[in-house]
Amino acid sequence: MQRQVYEYHPVFGYRFIPGLKARIEHEAGGYLMRINQAGFRCEREVQAARTPGRSRVLLFGDSFSAGDGVSNKQRYGDLLEELVPNVEVFNFALSGSGTDQQYLIHREHAPGIEHDLVVIAVLVENIRRVAARYRQYATLDGQELVLAKPYFELSADGELTLRHVPVPKEPIPEASLGEERDEVDRGGRFEWLRSTVNRLGPTVKDLAQRVSRYQPLPHYDSPDHDDWRLLRAILSRWIAECRATVVLFPLPVYQYVEDSASPDGYRARFEELARDTGATLHDPLPDLRSFPLAERRSFRFEVDCHPTPKAHRILAESLAPTVRALLAKSEARS
Amino acid sequence: MTTHVLGISGFYHDSAAALVADGEIIAAAQEERFTRKKHDPRFPRHAINYCLQEAFIEPSELAAVVFYDNPILSADRIVRSIVAHAPRTREQWLAAAPSFLGVKPFVAAHVRELLRVDVPVLFARHHLSHAASSFYPSPFERAAVLTLDGVGEWATTSLAVGEGRDLTVLKELHYPHSLGLLYSAFTSFCGFKVNSGEYKLMGLAPYGEPRYADQIRDHLISVRADGSFELDTSYFGYLEGNRMTNERFEALFGGPPREAESRITRREMDLAASIQKVTEDVVLGIARHLRAESGMDAVCLAGGVALNCVANGLLQREKIFDRVWIQPASGDAGGALGAALLASHQRFGVERHTPTNGRDAQKGSYLGPAFSSSEVRAFLERHGYPYEAIPDVAARNTVVAKALADGKIVGHLSGRMEFGPRSLGARSILGDARSASTQSVMNLKIKYRESFRPFAPSVLAERAGDYFELDCESPYMLLVAPVRKELRLPVPPRGEGDDDMLPLVNQVRSTLPAITHVDHSARVQTVAHEDHPVFHGLLRAFEELTGCGVLVNTSFNVRGEPIVCSPKDAYTCFMRTEMDLLVLEDCILYKALQPALDADDSWRNEYELD
Repeated sequence: MQRQVYEYHPVFGYRFIPGLKARIEHEAGGYLMRINQAGFRCEREVQAARTPGRSRVLLFGDSFSAGDGVSNKQRYGDLLEELVPNVEVFNFALSGSGTDQQYLIHREHAPGIEHDLVVIAVLVENIRRVAARYRQYATLDGQELVLAKPYFELSADGELTLRHVPVPKEPIPEASLGEERDEVDRGGRFEWLRSTVNRLGPTVKDLAQRVSRYQPLPHYDSPDHDDWRLLRAILSRWIAECRATVVLFPLPVYQYVEDSASPDGYRARFEELARDTGATLHDPLPDLRSFPLAERRSFRFEVDCHPTPKAHRILAESLAPTVRALLAKSEARS
Repeated sequence: MTTHVLGISGFYHDSAAALVADGEIIAAAQEERFTRKKHDPRFPRHAINYCLQEAFIEPSELAAVVFYDNPILSADRIVRSIVAHAPRTREQWLAAAPSFLGVKPFVAAHVRELLRVDVPVLFARHHLSHAASSFYPSPFERAAVLTLDGVGEWATTSLAVGEGRDLTVLKELHYPHSLGLLYSAFTSFCGFKVNSGEYKLMGLAPYGEPRYADQIRDHLISVRADGSFELDTSYFGYLEGNRMTNERFEALFGGPPREAESRITRREMDLAASIQKVTEDVVLGIARHLRAESGMDAVCLAGGVALNCVANGLLQREKIFDRVWIQPASGDAGGALGAALLASHQRFGVERHTPTNGRDAQKGSYLGPAFSSSEVRAFLERHGYPYEAIPDVAARNTVVAKALADGKIVGHLSGRMEFGPRSLGARSILGDARSASTQSVMNLKIKYRESFRPFAPSVLAERAGDYFELDCESPYMLLVAPVRKELRLPVPPRGEGDDDMLPLVNQVRSTLPAITHVDHSARVQTVAHEDHPVFHGLLRAFEELTGCGVLVNTSFNVRGEPIVCSPKDAYTCFMRTEMDLLVLEDCILYKALQPALDADDSWRNEYELD
């Protein structure tokens, strides 16, 4: 029996069930999950005022930052508190979400909270989720459903318009989607091929990707790709609305870490974005790639591609100097 | 640093896990509740996951994992027994070998594979695990301990004494001489399933006369002056094969065994009464000896035979010991808890602290998962099931009490799930004990069975003496007590040789007809405010409305299904039966308002009948 861990939310689509404590069975043995009363997987309860003498970082992201596969205390966000003195990290990451939903979470929660730094952790494949209007959802019985998600439309003159809010609550039969069937996020490219290869196990999957030089995210190849333009517009607006310094933290998928695909496209796009918005870019890829190739395989689980505790530790150690420096600068300014 | 110990049982029947922190019971649950397979014997991976969740610890924080049984000693007994009776034991070998050769020796590997840590894996003695499950959570600083079950390793009966954190075995009886197996032999012969139908046999006993008791004493069991006993194994099949009885047994009791699900005849009723009488006599005999030998004034019971609440009630009334405490998960599931406690106190030297308020440390046996109001609402909202939220407990209990008083049948999920085979208000189906129709409605429309057993009552602890001849608490529904004489109603005498018991089943025998057995007894649960404030409050609300502090309480399941665990299990059971109302924490659901269930009733084949 797996516990239900999410509940409906009219703006983000869903969130963790407030106050939940659960241990999720997992290929690595299982992991502990504690949800705060605001509905986020965070060890700290949200409080408006800073703790005296402490700096505060707000962290936004998806399952890589929420910590699927690892216990709360093993996540890079929590480890930052060990590595950076006198800092409190408030983790607002939501598993399965796109950057659009994460922006909406920021918009709803950040204005009411004193903070010094915002870390926007963009798992680079979130570009796909941002372009989607629906997401697949498996019930506890294993039933496959489609649910609406909030999304933004980008007009020709660069205006963003929010759609699907309040988010429709009821599951939608896929057949009734009509032309919008293409707007469902199905977890990646070549769905039918992927599901076949997945059935053959992780070793075969890795081999197939390596041999075929599979490029998971061609969306970043051109600055004019529609999906990048949409992601860029959302991030630009988000960064502009932030009251505090912003760190852009693009998290690579494993194909980039393990050298089976070229990261050049996404790295170029995030550099352009940081330059244009004034956000600080912290790219952890060089740190992840500084390890021998064979060791890098241990940064994800055997089947589940989420970061292992080891990878979280490396991400935290990579990010910590940037956070430390920015907080020092912020303190000096104030 | 806290000493966390995880106990596990399994690979025979009813696997379970329990977690203890510095000797305090944190969590315990049976695997069947998560897998939805009754008496699931498989490695308790889901129960382990739950225990770690409840304690909110990583596997690396465990001091040890303890298995409730020593697989080498069990294998020794099985191999010796099979060799002694070869070649007739081929079938038995084929049935037993996969477990004791293929699974049990690899317990440590299973644990490490599941938890992915190199935690020490220890093995406890089977009967010590049972004894520990009973003594350590009891309210007694020192007590005699009596363990009676089918068999564990070699032991079938053990007499021990506990004091502080010490537990010392005084005496053991060994296989094949087993009171549990004797009772199971009659269970099987009367057409019920071994390891689950013993309860039915006990419920059948009051319909019969113990006219075979002398035959049992003369042929099957010889009891010595010190209460110990020996079976004449030439009447039993379990030494040589997978049958409990053999042709000699059949010849002794007038023919072949009853076919399962066939009509119950006078013979089965009398056999049930007879073996019940013999069992009670043996239990009382051993208890007298144990009292004399140990000098203790309190006794703790465990092992499958300790679920015989009729014998327990008699032991209580006979006052051989001043006080009696029985582990509510007395079967093998409780062995997981005992193993964890045993290792905590004896291996890791954790001091034992008996509660100072005179109550036990079993926490009402509410040791399983709870589901918060937020989780319940998330589940209901996700599926669009209509509900009424009443967060105020008193207001909610008033609504539910009124429905019960109006004759409605209520599914009640409230707080942590019970550990052990009895529903104690946290996962219960409730009804009005005053109504003559409650029993038949619950049997036919909820449980889907035609049962000769009445349902059990839950009663306000402070009012128990007003309804039952009971001078102590019975929080775990493990004592049978007579309904008070002034509440009994005259019933027509039963004709000699009357074979048909069905007319008796729904006879009104007291002012609490739904819970009064044919012998005017009832299997009582006393509910104290300290143990379950919400359920106690509901009984109180019902009493305020009706003047009656008793409700019918039966397990929240259909026949063959494990008791429900989650809101989803509860909702599914609610919709598949004719319950009127479902309470899921602070939400009330009315059957009439729910969307119709899929007409497909193939779920009925999901559960093997017990």
